This record gives sequence, C-alpha cells and structure tokens, in this order.
Amino acid sequence: MNQIVSGFFWVSLVCVMAFITLPLIVVIAASLSPSAQVTLVPWEWTIRWYGDLVASRWLDPFMLSAQIAVLVSVISGVLGLLAAYVVAFEKCPGHAAIMSFLLSPLAVPQIVKGVAIVLFLSSAGLYRWVGTPGLIAAHIILTLPFAVRMIATAMFNFDKNLDRAGQSLGATKAQRIRHLLLPIIKPGVFSGMTFAFIISFNNIPLSVFLVRPGETTLPITVINYLEYSLDPVLAAVNVASLLFVLAVIFVFEKVGGFSAQIHGGSK
Amino acid sequence: MSSLALHAEKGRPVRTSLIRQYIPLLPPGLILLLFFAIPMGMMMGLSFQPKGAEAASLANYGRFFTDDFTLIGLGRTVLMSGLVAICVTVMAYPVAYFLARSRSPWRAVVFALAIAPELAGVVLRTYGWLIILEDHGFINNALLWLGVISEPLPLAKNMFGVVVGLTHVILPFGVLSLLTSLQGVDPNLEKSAQILGASRLSVIRHIVLPLTVPGIVSSMLLAFTMSASAYATPAILGGAGFKVLATMVYEQVLFYVDWSFAAVMANVLLVMMLIVAFIGSRLEMRLHKKLHF
Repeated sequence: MNQIVSGFFWVSLVCVMAFITLPLIVVIAASLSPSAQVTLVPWEWTIRWYGDLVASRWLDPFMLSAQIAVLVSVISGVLGLLAAYVVAFEKCPGHAAIMSFLLSPLAVPQIVKGVAIVLFLSSAGLYRWVGTPGLIAAHIILTLPFAVRMIATAMFNFDKNLDRAGQSLGATKAQRIRHLLLPIIKPGVFSGMTFAFIISFNNIPLSVFLVRPGETTLPITVINYLEYSLDPVLAAVNVASLLFVLAVIFVFEKVGGFSAQIHGGSK
Repeated sequence: MSSLALHAEKGRPVRTSLIRQYIPLLPPGLILLLFFAIPMGMMMGLSFQPKGAEAASLANYGRFFTDDFTLIGLGRTVLMSGLVAICVTVMAYPVAYFLARSRSPWRAVVFALAIAPELAGVVLRTYGWLIILEDHGFINNALLWLGVISEPLPLAKNMFGVVVGLTHVILPFGVLSLLTSLQGVDPNLEKSAQILGASRLSVIRHIVLPLTVPGIVSSMLLAFTMSASAYATPAILGGAGFKVLATMVYEQVLFYVDWSFAAVMANVLLVMMLIVAFIGSRLEMRLHKKLHF
C-alpha cells in the first residue's frame, strides 16, 4: 500500500514536471525544425528562422520593447528608491498608509488598469500619448509597487546603527546615503529593477490598449501575428526574446549581485 | 527622527523639516496619482455615464446584468477561473511537497524548472500550447498518425485549451504558495505518525492535508484571481468565440468604442476580485485560528 502511494506520488511529480517543461521544449524544437509542422522528430535542424528575425518587422518591435523595458526599469528603480527612502528608512509619520497607497495598484487587475489609463488619456485630451509615452507610464504604474516593495525590504533590513556611526563620525546626510545606504541596499534595488524589466518586456494586458501602428511592442506583435499563422518564425522570435531576457538578468545580476538576497529568502 | 532633532538644533522650525521629509515622495506619488488614482476614479465615474446619455444613471449596470452575452461571459469567467484554481492546486501540491521535504540533489533542478517558465512570458508558453493542442498540432498529429483517432480532437480554441494554458502560466505561483504552507508543517509530525504505524496514505490524509488547508485555500484564491483577470491566454487559446470578462473589456474599448460599458465590465471584474480576496482573507484568518487555537 505504501509503495502504491509513493509510486503514485513520483508518477504525478514527473507528470507535472513534464507538463511544465513541454511547451518550452516544443517551442525550441519548432524554432529549429525545417517545416511549419512540429513533429518533434526533426531529422534535420535549421536555423533559418533565426535568420528571418533580422528584418524590421521583428527588429523594430524588439527595439521598442527593449527601450521601454530599460526606461521603465530605471525610472521604477529611481522612483522606488525615493519612495522607499521616505517610507522604510525615515519611517515618516503615516508611513504605513503611504506604503499601502504605493502598493495599491497591485490590487487592481492589469486589464482594469489598462482600460483606466486609456480612458483617462482619451478623455483628458492626451490621446496623442497613446503609443510610447503611454506604454512607459502604464508600465511604470505596473512595476513601481514591486520596486517599492523590494527596495523597502532591503531598507528595512539595513542596520540603522551604521547610519548612526557615520553620523557621529561627521558624515553628512548625502555622504551617508551615498557611501552607506546605497551600497548596502544595491542588491534590493537591482532585483526590483530586474523584476520591472521582465514585467515590462513581456507585458500584454496593459500594452494591448496602448500600442499604435508603428509603435507596437514585441509581445503584441507576436500575438497579433499568432491570430492567423503559426509560422515557425514565431517560435524563433519567442526563443530569441527569452534568451535576451536571460542575458539581461545575467547582466543585472553581475552588476547588482542580488542572487544572494533571493536565496536568503527575502521576498 | 534623528534628522528632525539635528534640524531643530540648528534653529530651523521643526515643521519645515517634517514637510521636507516628504519631498522625495512627490515624483512617485504624482505619477501614481496621475496615471493610476485619477484614471481609476475617472473610470468609476464613466461607468455611470452611458454612451450618448447626459445624465448619470445605473443603466449600464442594468444592461450588464440583463444581457445574455455579458452574463454568459461572466459565468464563463467564473467557471474557467474555478477550474484553473482546482487544476493549479492539485498539480502544484506534489511539486511543493517534494520541494518542502526532499533533500535530494534533484531538488534544485525541480525548483528551477518549476519557477523558470515565469521568465519566458505568457506569449511563448501560450504559443507552445497552441502548437501542441491545435488541430494540426503535436498531439493531434501523433494520434492521427497512430490511428487512434480519425478526426482531430478539439483541444485548442475552447475551454479545455484555455484551462491548460492558464494552469501552466499560474502553476509556479501555486507551487510557491503551497511550499510556504508545507514548510510550516513540522516534518516530525509525519515521522511520529509513521513510527506509530500510520500508512503513507493516512499520514497525508490526516496530517499533511489538514495542516496545509490554509495554503490550499490561498493557492486556489491566487489562481482564481489571476485567471479571472488574464487576457492573453484566453484571447489566444480560446479562439474568437471564447469571451471572458477580460477579452470583452478589450473588445468594448477597441472595437465597439463604448468606453462607458467597458468601464462597467472592468468595474464588475474589479469588484469580483475584491470580493474573492475579501472572502479569502476572512477564510484564511478563520482557518489559521482553528489550526493554532
């Protein structure tokens, strides 16, 4: 009986893991298979779909998505730092209420935030903002709460005695922030920025309302194309953008060194 | 507080330094106000202002709750989210249990594999499921070739495809929330029950499952709210006829250009989420009290 139970457990574990990895494997296989039909028995591989990516049809949306994601990640990082400094470091009066205001966008589904922003831009006479400026603003609203939360956690963990020591040694406030606080919370800031980058780069539910012809992000370009074709070039686009995200995470990790923090269990 | 004291020593009025403390909040606060708080308020207001009408009224809400089309969409959203909540929790449980109890070197691999798909984004995974499930997809081609079926099975462009896709998207979150709950259960309880002669099955049924009910509830609620607001997966894997609230909202804005009705749908979705979250937190609190006296 016990063997049946544990056998059942292992079988279900393996099935679930197969379920998790299957789509990724299929997409990678499709991006390398010579025909449009995915059979998973590719006797011959081809990388010609990747060659097709070097066309403005894919490069333009990719560049736009990458630029927006970088800007959003930097702006969220800076705004998150400012907010977290007041709320988590200075602990100003009313910091709990301010924190819940800063995190409030998390309670609203993305699609609802998207509708709200596009309706606001249209009714406020800012319709020309639809496109890149609107995308950046919307993505910041989406990523800022995550950045605030991650940076605030890092600031909560910062040992205030270090700041007091610096103060008693005559360091000005600016010097203490630059040489004590910022280097210590750097991993938190970078994990917030990485998170913001990934969310922005892959976003669909907000972007879908704010793109316009000629200013379309990569995920939206892909889903628009998906509606009438399963072209293997899409598989290549997806694999290439995944590799790009992984490369960005790698760079951010090298600069910010946040993996230790993640393994340390802070959220 | 220390900065406050320092300023006071220098003879500056305390009040200005108190206000100055808040200055860094201006940029993030203004952005949130301008692109979140005001738009949300505006959307709420707009929902009471039917298209073309001058006076505010509840007409649009009446339309939402009497029209078959929107009611079916609402029902479909609830059904889809409920199915995903069950699938995610059932599938995440063995993974979370393995991650919480195993000391094998495979643990790190399983953890990475369970979480990594999150980096890939929804588009890649949904595209993957589409090539697996569609009429000329991987599964149908294999079954046709084997002669098991003569017609392709309708696996994509319907509820089944959407539930599969969403379960895949949300599974990592289910694993994480069950993992937290399972890590809170003392493994010694299971060991002592086994020493006292309980079978594996009864250890799971009478110890592990009851103690992780709060984790099960929170995983289901998380999966429910995430699927109810998902847009891309239902849009791609559901096909043209599969309308849930999220895709209906999008259509109202971009095709029918009825902003007011779009605002009504968005508000219904938002209120549904808030109700589920509220019931969930009450339920979790009660369960927590029950378990910890």
